[in-house]
Amino acid sequence: MNIAIILAGGKGTRMGIVDQPKQFIDIYGKPIVVHTIEAFDIHEQIDAIAVVCLKEWHEDIKIWTRKYELNKIKWIVDGGETRQESVLNGLKAIEADASPDDIIVIHDAARPLISHRIIVNNIEGAKEFGAVDTVITASDTIIKSLDDDTISSIPVRKELYIGQTPQSFVYSTIYDAHKKAATSELQDSTDDCRLVLDYGKKVHLVEGDKLNFKITTMEDLLLLKSVIKMSKLENI
Amino acid sequence: MLTRGFKIVQSKRFEVYIEELELIAGSAIVKIETAAICKADLRYYLGSRDARTLNLKYPINLIHEAIGTVVKDPTNSFEKGDKVALVPNLMISKDKQDDFDIDLSSDPRLGENYSAKALFASSSYNGFSKDYIAYPATNLVKIDDSIDLNIAVFSELISVAVAAIRRIILKDDDVIGIWGDGILGYILCSVLKQVHKGPIVIVGHSQNKLDMFEGVKKHLSNDEKIKDENINVAFECIGGIASEGGIDEIMNVCLTGSKIVFSGVAENSIRINTRRILEKGLAIYGVTRSNVDDFKAAAELLKRPDFSHDISKLIIDKTSIYGIKDYYKVFEIEAESRALGKHIMTFKF
Repeated sequence: MNIAIILAGGKGTRMGIVDQPKQFIDIYGKPIVVHTIEAFDIHEQIDAIAVVCLKEWHEDIKIWTRKYELNKIKWIVDGGETRQESVLNGLKAIEADASPDDIIVIHDAARPLISHRIIVNNIEGAKEFGAVDTVITASDTIIKSLDDDTISSIPVRKELYIGQTPQSFVYSTIYDAHKKAATSELQDSTDDCRLVLDYGKKVHLVEGDKLNFKITTMEDLLLLKSVIKMSKLENI
Repeated sequence: MLTRGFKIVQSKRFEVYIEELELIAGSAIVKIETAAICKADLRYYLGSRDARTLNLKYPINLIHEAIGTVVKDPTNSFEKGDKVALVPNLMISKDKQDDFDIDLSSDPRLGENYSAKALFASSSYNGFSKDYIAYPATNLVKIDDSIDLNIAVFSELISVAVAAIRRIILKDDDVIGIWGDGILGYILCSVLKQVHKGPIVIVGHSQNKLDMFEGVKKHLSNDEKIKDENINVAFECIGGIASEGGIDEIMNVCLTGSKIVFSGVAENSIRINTRRILEKGLAIYGVTRSNVDDFKAAAELLKRPDFSHDISKLIIDKTSIYGIKDYYKVFEIEAESRALGKHIMTFKF
């Protein structure tokens, strides 16, 4: 079984909007999170979906599940205080139904432009290697600054990639890595691959897509809106 | 849901389009799997139609030859996972037609593809160059699971051949001549081999291409022996300006009272010897596009191993399309190709 965990637990503080996390903002009549879920719901290789979000949004997810005929959502799970905790909650929630060798595809709700290909490559990569991370090459030079004022170093660009999601794993690997991290000092990882690396497993790369960007700021939202072109299906 | 596709915005320029896909009543959602480029697509790509016509069409998703997988069908006409051919010729609902259109579409020898109000994918509405499409379930035709999708993608051309044959009543002893050694000529020949008992003669310009036709008589154009074949039914599958010479040859060599079906498209007017039509009492029929029933007939033909084998020879190569760069590449290759066959695309973006 291939299970998607959609992380919609963020509060979206960088957006400035106070009443609604970014992933619930409406884009042309549909919340961003629904656009994201639909990409997985329609995908022939995804068998089930878990949505992790704050408790106050559970009812909305249920309403949208019916309204937009989302057929594969099996679990709506409470989000945690951190991303790491949210993922762990998702992994716990599916425990009764998932097998150790199932593939878990973890994706940010705020990346609605996930392509069919990236999901395919994640599932195939996780099956082959056990753990994969979606990345794109860094086209800009990355600057490292330790004091937020001066350059500490300029890493070699060709060795650098920008991490996206999904991050996909064999269930037993990611669950064990999370359980181990939960008992360690690492409580606030923003990246599941880091936990898997700490757990001693290799993580392979899957080619991402610049369009698979995360809606984090108002500028991202503007970008998303300008990327989506209204379809001209009225003819048929 | 958000879908992505490639639209042509001017000659030789495609752009990625992210669009919201609404599931319209009566539609199913189909994931496009394999697709092929048609000459009409190439005319848009190369800009080889008049500028005004092109500017009225751009931006548009090209491609009207495609096979997909049903991923969602609220109409319950198909199972999830069914492979389907998409019928690009779309009749508008009866309440939006006038009596003339309805009369046309109810005549089995004409059909809805002759209605001026019918729409056509990649011409009067967006074609299939996208990952997912919401498409009327009535315009989807199931393809048997046993059929290779790289072969099934020829369904549209097979259906056009079926439509051409549908225009006339064939008798078992008719001697059929096919002018044109291109892809439509080849497919028409393959279909006729399945449905016609009498002789079939191919007339073409290229010996190499003629060599690919099997089980039929072959002549190079201008061969004086063509006349001895006593052809009484002719199909013109040449198109373009070259069809002028081909049609002239047909009229000169075929028997008095012959039926001639035109299926090639000439952008500009060509000259036709009307005296010969009168002298020989020739009957001329036109054929354009195909309808759902033609696709169903194509799907049935594809179940026959010998027919499927004939069609498989038209696959020149297969290319996976991961992004717009791959898409450009196949258009460039297809535009340059003079070989008999197509470069099949598998959509993986």
